Amino acid sequence: MIDVLVFFIGASLLLYVVLGGSDFGAGIIELLPAGRLRDAQKQVINRAMGPVWEANHMWLILIVVILFMGFPTIFTTLMVALHIPMLALLVGIVVRGTAFTFRHYDAVQKIPSQRVYTLLFGVSSLWTAFWLGIIAASLNRGTIDPTSRDVWTAYIAPWWGAYPVTVGVFVACIYAFLASIYLVGETDNGELQRRFIRLGAWFNVLVFLVGALVFLASLGERRPLPAAFLQDPKKLAVIVLATVLFVALWVLISQRRPMLTRIVAAGQAALILLGWYLLYAPNAVLTTQGPLSFYVEAAPAATLRQLVIALVVGSIFIFPSLIFLLRVFKSEDAHAPAGESADE
Amino acid sequence: MDDLVAARATMGFSLGFHIVFAAIGMTMPFLMSAAHYVYLKTQDTVYLDLTKMWMKGVAILFAVGAVSGTVLSFELGLLWPGFMQHAGPIIGMPFSWEGTAFFIEAIAIGLFLYGWKRMPRWLHWATGLVVGISGFVSGIFVVAANGWMNSPAGFDWVNGSPRNIDPVAAMFNRAWLHQSIHMQLAALQAVGCAVGGIHAWLYLRGRAPAVHLKAFRIAMMFGATASLVQPFAGHFAGERVAKLQPAKLAAIEGHFSTSSRAPLTIGGLPDVETRTMKYGLPVPGLLSLLAHRDMNAEVIGLDKFPREDWPPVLVVHVAFQIMVAIGSVLALLAVVFFWVRRKAEFPRWFFWIVIACAPLGTLAMEAGWIVTEVGRQPWIIYGLVRTRDTVTPVPGMVYHFYLFLALYLGLAATTAWLLRRQIMVVQLKWEGVR
Ligand code: HDD
Ligand code: HEM
Ligand code: HEM
Repeated sequence: MIDVLVFFIGASLLLYVVLGGSDFGAGIIELLPAGRLRDAQKQVINRAMGPVWEANHMWLILIVVILFMGFPTIFTTLMVALHIPMLALLVGIVVRGTAFTFRHYDAVQKIPSQRVYTLLFGVSSLWTAFWLGIIAASLNRGTIDPTSRDVWTAYIAPWWGAYPVTVGVFVACIYAFLASIYLVGETDNGELQRRFIRLGAWFNVLVFLVGALVFLASLGERRPLPAAFLQDPKKLAVIVLATVLFVALWVLISQRRPMLTRIVAAGQAALILLGWYLLYAPNAVLTTQGPLSFYVEAAPAATLRQLVIALVVGSIFIFPSLIFLLRVFKSEDAHAPAGESADE
Repeated sequence: MDDLVAARATMGFSLGFHIVFAAIGMTMPFLMSAAHYVYLKTQDTVYLDLTKMWMKGVAILFAVGAVSGTVLSFELGLLWPGFMQHAGPIIGMPFSWEGTAFFIEAIAIGLFLYGWKRMPRWLHWATGLVVGISGFVSGIFVVAANGWMNSPAGFDWVNGSPRNIDPVAAMFNRAWLHQSIHMQLAALQAVGCAVGGIHAWLYLRGRAPAVHLKAFRIAMMFGATASLVQPFAGHFAGERVAKLQPAKLAAIEGHFSTSSRAPLTIGGLPDVETRTMKYGLPVPGLLSLLAHRDMNAEVIGLDKFPREDWPPVLVVHVAFQIMVAIGSVLALLAVVFFWVRRKAEFPRWFFWIVIACAPLGTLAMEAGWIVTEVGRQPWIIYGLVRTRDTVTPVPGMVYHFYLFLALYLGLAATTAWLLRRQIMVVQLKWEGVR
């Protein structure tokens, strides 16, 4: 039962990173100067993300619900110790979702207000991705101290440090990378395609470099990453494979195989998450009082059964309709004449 | 403001904000689908314009509903960790089904908004309806979770923590039915009448009157029907509260001492110090009749509860009076609507009345939630766990409160401004066409 739930958490996280990530990344890309391509780029992003942003965002809510129903101690521990980053995350989510929608649906598409929306969308995408990274990094540092009520040790130290900050930057880079890869296949405009390819290549390098920095920063932590990975061949294999894929992606991007590139990029994100999970499994959180394991902190069996039923039945409805959603839009989008607005 | 007060204020404020958009999200898709249906049947393009206009409004409002809802699911843990620790496993079930319903809603809205000409027409129409249905169903699930806080069920309370959890029994607690019925009607009523009022105003302004008259009719059909049924649903809720939460009922009515042949006080201000009602008009025996269907039945008063277990009586009583007054006004409005509707044309004065009533439904909905939520105090889980014992230990909650206050006020202002622009542009376009 617990395995199923952990699987659902993992799957939702993966989908949130891959689908939601490219959505965040699109915002980050819009922050970069685009010269006269700016409007065309905005059109493509509106068209590609418009139909799916709501659904992408649901993965996060799913994770929250699984946590508070199935693993209440883990949920409440995080919500107390990471109150500040969670708050920052929420502000980002609120601004991002509304700025994106407002930009598209504002009846008066005048330059000044559109600029403001775009700026807000971009900044909040970057901001939210960054704080997501901070939260992810803080889970297993062993700095969460549930017994303390001192402001610094209880609410700030858990997420403060070079390591969480680098992970935050790392997440933002991965998101921007995923978005570039994704957007290449979403437009017929050759110039724009070349821009996304160039961005993809740059972010690929950046992800690699910042990834190395993450390892470096972890040396200051209680449990440095290199040692942890070297301990176990399985973990090592995952991380080596993820690194090899950097090269593969580099080649694929320049060869212009949008679909294959997307799959490999998603695979790489999956490997990074898998490596992360293997590193700490089955513990979700490490506190100063010891680890909080999915297998120890789970809610009573009756609850877990209902949760699994809800998730499985939900999936039966959700996945076909999600695939339908993607097919309805993706099959034609790439070929739709540029500038066609989908809702007219 | 101490941390507890700040946390309560934050929760109440975020919920009060969310519920407006949630109600719109549960109602507008139905209005939209109705207009869309007529268009597909008659090919009258006025209905197509109307559908699209409402659709753009829905897209904007839906986004605000979605983000404010996300904030809520985090806030349950950020503000009330002590509550979620116990309650999560027990009432997670309606939330997990709610999540499923939202997911379907989110997918359906993507299909509906962007799916024009990409799908068979009736399939496209159906996706719009699915948005409404899944929103409506998810509303029922959340309210069931709230019902559980008012009428806990599905577990045994052993030494300060729950045992033998039965999530199904928890979801179908004894308050879920009356709360869901009453809430869903409230959404239809509040949004139906508000939309009717807006279109009445635009109609009187004389621009594109044909469209606004049609919009007015559709919106009022929903709003008026719900308004007619609502007093009965409200009465049903009252009866249930008398049984399940006597302290809340006593606060609602400002009923300080237990008595048979209890009077119902219309209006009035309860004075907690002297334990009396001031200025009200008491109707002897009516409270006993309404609460227990018997003029002579005994109604438990606040004297049966220790002082520290009283909810804030004044707030609850006043909020209740506002809700019931509005409920009566809107029911009357509905009767008039169905009566004038049979004539060839609506008289002008009727539009003015609807305009005057436009904000009332929403006001009643907020007041009703204050009755329910403040009336439950000092309990977060009625009779078992006190709100103050579950609040987060994180200090400085005031800043959390101000942060979200500022964020939401900004959001509300932007949304209002956007909707105004929306209406203006549509007006100009239609004028150009004519
Ligand atoms: C348009 C909104 C609206 C209107 C006109 C009314 N209500 Fe209401 N009422 C609500 C909107 C609402 C609500 C916001 O939806 C509440 C809050 C929680 C709930 O389930 O419904 C509510 C709660 C609520 C409760 C508390 C339920 C509980 O705590 O379990 C009672 C006793 C009533 N109502 C009674 C009435 C009566 C006798 C009305 C007479 C006309 C009435 N309401 C009109
Ligand atoms: C959307 C409609 C709702 C509104 C407007 C609303 C309003 C409020 C208000 C005003 C308070 C503060 C009460 C006080 O402390 O005096 C409150 C508290 C609270 N509400 Fe609601 N509520 C709504 C629905 C819900 C639902 C569906 C839940 C879910 C389970 C819920 C859970 C809570 C919790 C946990 C608290 C804090 C504890 C407490 O004060 O008792 N509410 N709400
Ligand atoms: C503690 C209480 C609540 C929580 C945690 C909560 C949670 C959420 C979440 C996460 C969403 C976003 C879904 C999406 O992304 O599409 C949402 C939206 C929504 N909520 Fe709530 N909600 C609460 C109270 C309520 C209540 C009381 C109602 C109505 C009865 C309601 C009705 C809706 C509806 C209809 C939507 C769809 C979005 C829209 O139409 O704007 N919610 N809520």
